[in-house]
Amino acid sequence: MSGASVSAEPPLREAPPPDVPAGESRWRRWLIAAAFLAPAVILLGIWVVYPAIRTIIRSFFNAAGDHFVWFANFEELFTTDLLLTAIKNNALWVAIVPLFVTSIGLIFAVLTERVRWSVAFKTVVFMPMAISLLAAGVIWRLMYIQDPNQGTVNAAIAAVKGVVEPEGALPTAEPSSPQLVGNPGSTLTLKTPLDPGQVAVLGLSAIPDADVPEGAKQAVKPPAKPDGITGVVWRDFKPGGGKIGKVEKGELGLPGVTLELKDSSGKQIATATSAADGTFAFERLAQGSYTVAISGDTFAQPFAGVDWLGDQLITPAIMIAYIWVWAGFAMVVIAAGLAAIPRDVLEAARTDGASEWQTFIRVTVPLLAPILSVVFITLVINVLKVFDIVLSVAPSSSQDDANVIALAMWRVSFSGQNDFGVGSAIATFLFLLVLPVLALNIRRFRREV
Amino acid sequence: MTGTRTYALAAAAIAAIAAVLVAASVASGTAPKRHVTPKVSGTISIISEATGPEQEHFKNVLADFEKLNPDVEVKYTSAGRNLTTILSTAVAGGNPPDMALLPQPGFMRELVKKKALKPIEFLRPTIKKNWSAGWVALGSVGGKLYGLYLKGANKSTIWYNVKLFKKAGVKTPKTFNALLKAAKTLKASGTKAYSIGGGDGWTLTDLFENIYLRQAGGSNYDKLSAHKIKWTSPTVKAALQQMAKIFSDDSNIAGGTSGALSTVFADSVTQAFGNNPKAAMVLEADFVEGVITGSTNAKPKTDFNYFPWPAIKPGTLNNVVAGGDAVVMFRDKPATRALMKYFATPRAANVYAKQGGFSSPNKLVKGSAYHDPIARRAALALSHAKVVRFDMSDLQPAAFGGTPGQGMWKLLQDLLKNPKNVNQIASQLESAAAKAYSGGK
Amino acid sequence: MAVAEAGVRVAPQVVEESVARKILRVLAKAPVHLLLVFIGVLWLIPTIGLFLTSLMSPADISAGGWWQIFSKPSIATLESYRALWENESLRTALLTTLEITVGATVLPIVIAALAAYAFAWLDFPGRDWLFIIVIGLLVVPLQMALIPIFSFYNAVGLFDTVLGLILFHTAFGLPFAIFLLRNFFIGIPKDLLESARIDGASEFRIFTRLILPLGLPAIASLAIFQFLWTWNDLLVALTFGRDVRPITVAILSQLSEFGSSIEIIAPASFISLILPLAVFFAFQRYFVQGLLAGSVK
Repeated sequence: MSGASVSAEPPLREAPPPDVPAGESRWRRWLIAAAFLAPAVILLGIWVVYPAIRTIIRSFFNAAGDHFVWFANFEELFTTDLLLTAIKNNALWVAIVPLFVTSIGLIFAVLTERVRWSVAFKTVVFMPMAISLLAAGVIWRLMYIQDPNQGTVNAAIAAVKGVVEPEGALPTAEPSSPQLVGNPGSTLTLKTPLDPGQVAVLGLSAIPDADVPEGAKQAVKPPAKPDGITGVVWRDFKPGGGKIGKVEKGELGLPGVTLELKDSSGKQIATATSAADGTFAFERLAQGSYTVAISGDTFAQPFAGVDWLGDQLITPAIMIAYIWVWAGFAMVVIAAGLAAIPRDVLEAARTDGASEWQTFIRVTVPLLAPILSVVFITLVINVLKVFDIVLSVAPSSSQDDANVIALAMWRVSFSGQNDFGVGSAIATFLFLLVLPVLALNIRRFRREV
Repeated sequence: MTGTRTYALAAAAIAAIAAVLVAASVASGTAPKRHVTPKVSGTISIISEATGPEQEHFKNVLADFEKLNPDVEVKYTSAGRNLTTILSTAVAGGNPPDMALLPQPGFMRELVKKKALKPIEFLRPTIKKNWSAGWVALGSVGGKLYGLYLKGANKSTIWYNVKLFKKAGVKTPKTFNALLKAAKTLKASGTKAYSIGGGDGWTLTDLFENIYLRQAGGSNYDKLSAHKIKWTSPTVKAALQQMAKIFSDDSNIAGGTSGALSTVFADSVTQAFGNNPKAAMVLEADFVEGVITGSTNAKPKTDFNYFPWPAIKPGTLNNVVAGGDAVVMFRDKPATRALMKYFATPRAANVYAKQGGFSSPNKLVKGSAYHDPIARRAALALSHAKVVRFDMSDLQPAAFGGTPGQGMWKLLQDLLKNPKNVNQIASQLESAAAKAYSGGK
Repeated sequence: MAVAEAGVRVAPQVVEESVARKILRVLAKAPVHLLLVFIGVLWLIPTIGLFLTSLMSPADISAGGWWQIFSKPSIATLESYRALWENESLRTALLTTLEITVGATVLPIVIAALAAYAFAWLDFPGRDWLFIIVIGLLVVPLQMALIPIFSFYNAVGLFDTVLGLILFHTAFGLPFAIFLLRNFFIGIPKDLLESARIDGASEFRIFTRLILPLGLPAIASLAIFQFLWTWNDLLVALTFGRDVRPITVAILSQLSEFGSSIEIIAPASFISLILPLAVFFAFQRYFVQGLLAGSVK
């Protein structure tokens, strides 16, 4: 049961010795006991005890198993980048996840304590514990897809962002010639300033058909106006490319685009909107030079999606999935503990004048301490051995960055390298990490005997 | 008296019948043998990388074999891209499958070194007759034949979305610079040019090999394949620079470079030829066609087609980087021999070729066997190419050239992530290669 | 007053709550209720998302997310499930999972019950020390046995067999099972056993006729726990199997192969979690009990 191991809290009593009918030989009792114990002892001996010892011994030999190499394998464990990442990641897991899960479990347990339909809520939150960590990983792998059209998490973020920063009309558009300058996603300005009587020619490309605004017509280069600046903003592309910078037949104007006019000091003094054929005009201008630009919100980039599965965020992403699975466990166990707290203790605190919050902090939490520590320790052990969910959430390009000890052990031993020496060393290292809990359990049991 | 007589008669009758039976059995035993091949029976376990539609195609070939040998059962297991690791572990455990399809001669060599494979010398006459010398050499280790090249792949193809090309007014390029220019025009027309399956590192190695063969030439290619020149040499860096030219065009790749890194090969194909194409070109081998016909509704010639990988140095247009799958045996028994012999027949190749996405290096396979004109063109380009080289990454030790998350597959993914890091990646490639060639630890 | 001073509690006066107060009470709780509903929905979304994704065709999946179904209910289809059903290897995988899980649930229960009875009610030298070892084994990670058992299985022909997987799961399920059952058995009243022994019943008879029936609740909890744990296992099956593939391994290989095939992974994953969920719902009480038995005094 090691994967979902709970730390043991043995009951107080030890098994009482039975009254033996007079005449029973000790030998016979032993034989009977042996009969009951034999299958378990054999299985545990062959499958658990003996292999564990063998693994420890094996970790001191080389990959082929024929050469004693002292601590070389352990050295490799601490000097190989890939394995160090695994240790670092597990450290992060241990530091962050048990704390989060226990806290969330505590909060949920408290919230549901006085709600009548708490069973339904608890069931919903606890459900993920029933499914495999692999399936949970699959669920979240799909949720984390970067494309906001497919991945749930990014879709939610996009929906929120869409309200605050709506997508521009032509998010993919680029200038068709070096005449227009600007950073992607912001204002594109015509490099050369213009005087009244000149025509501004603003060509854009990289616009898919679907983005061309409705009602767009053949682009037209407007005639010049003596006291104004006219211009055209259009899709400067026809099959084969066409001549850049020239309005040609088959090229569509871009209506509804906001143009900005800046004077020589850089201050924006007017805006205009392009017509169906892409033309626009700024009229009644005083003499001087002006710059024309296409407003930045035309090019506002759609939310590209956070790269949850990329190497930067992969470990936090997997942790979130894990917390989603295990919070229910913490909640149920803590809720049981809460229910076990005798009412009069709380009543006494309340009649003594303590507020709800004080009662919680000074009375409830200390009483819950043993339960909280059991939950916490259980999670620490399980997090040290985390495997399935990392394998299923992380795509191959991020597997290295998401590496954890159990996964590293498996990869080194059974995934191409077949180095049983280093693999055994990693397993032994993992065992050493959980050893303190083993000692704790045994100590608890013996204390009560 | 009557009793004894009856007994005697009965005894005589029984003896007579017995004699007749014995005689009959003797007679049938010594009857002249007609040309009946002895019935082969048993089970064969065979493993390959094929999944999805490719898996179905291969299983149909196996089913055809079972039709000819009804007492044999063939069990197929798909290993996906984890073939090398699964087989390594199986060999380490002493329990490999009976046969396998290996895409990597380098890995085959490793298995022979581990004494895991059985030679197929009994097929030497057939193979020598119907496969060109190059393929025979690829299937041999130390002079002995171990692998039969059932499947070949023309990796110097670029598949494009015909409608998107038409809309952009782009013609299929014949030189690398023309390709880059075409990509620019495609972008200007409003579609992205490249659909890259960077989630599968091997697609990136194919890109490198095509560039390197056309830029550095065949003899440098051979030297690099055998690690006789280093990965830090100028020819390699020059090829990596060309790759960087494509990779740094981030806004011209479907999903951007980060999206490409989490796109697997099959998705890179469906996203270029599906209902809402996200890019216009897939720079991959002839088996792309199998994915297109299996997972999208695109039609040949009107929706999809390919053009040969453009030239870099003049005259390199028809150079071909080839891939292939060799059938190998882990156990030599009558059933596996029979299946091996079957794979060497043109019949097997025909069953396969009819389904598309398959090229056969077998000289006996005619052009008419191929599924459609496009597949035929690619297969003939493979068999008629004057300058052919086998996929370099497949010739490497598996730890360097054929394992997900390691070596070439991983480091070229890093190049996709950071196209500016050519020098650093070149030296990392060199150290990984050195480690792999020196035997690992 | 004298009565109150004597420390006798006076029953508080019961007052009929007015409607207004009732409404106020509910409203005061309203934020909590709303919060809980919100959290509950949030917790359900991932699973619902998977389910709805499994109802979409491959073309629709690459075009957009599962929330499309709400605006275009017609794109929902059972096609993916049909294709799954016809996929022989996935059907086999489900069957294999069942075989392994049933075996690895029944066997440990039988073996652990026998051992737990010995620890609880049989006196023999070294009993406490042996039990301490069992407690110690609770924490030993699977990883410590993978490599030696891999070599062992290959040597004796248990590699890539259902039996091999069952035995491994059984062995590693024993410490917890023995622990759980032993603690439960101890709670059985001593007199019951005494009288049975006085009546001359053999230990084995006491075990089968008395202990097992009384221990049914704990056994049920254990069974549920072990069933879920084995059904959902990945590591053990991945290491000791190749052609023998439970559903978790089958899904993983789909995930990491030539194509990511969401239209295969989504329905397969959903089917793989239906059975454990059903078991969970049917036997929730026992499942939670089992969890608590190991954790709470």
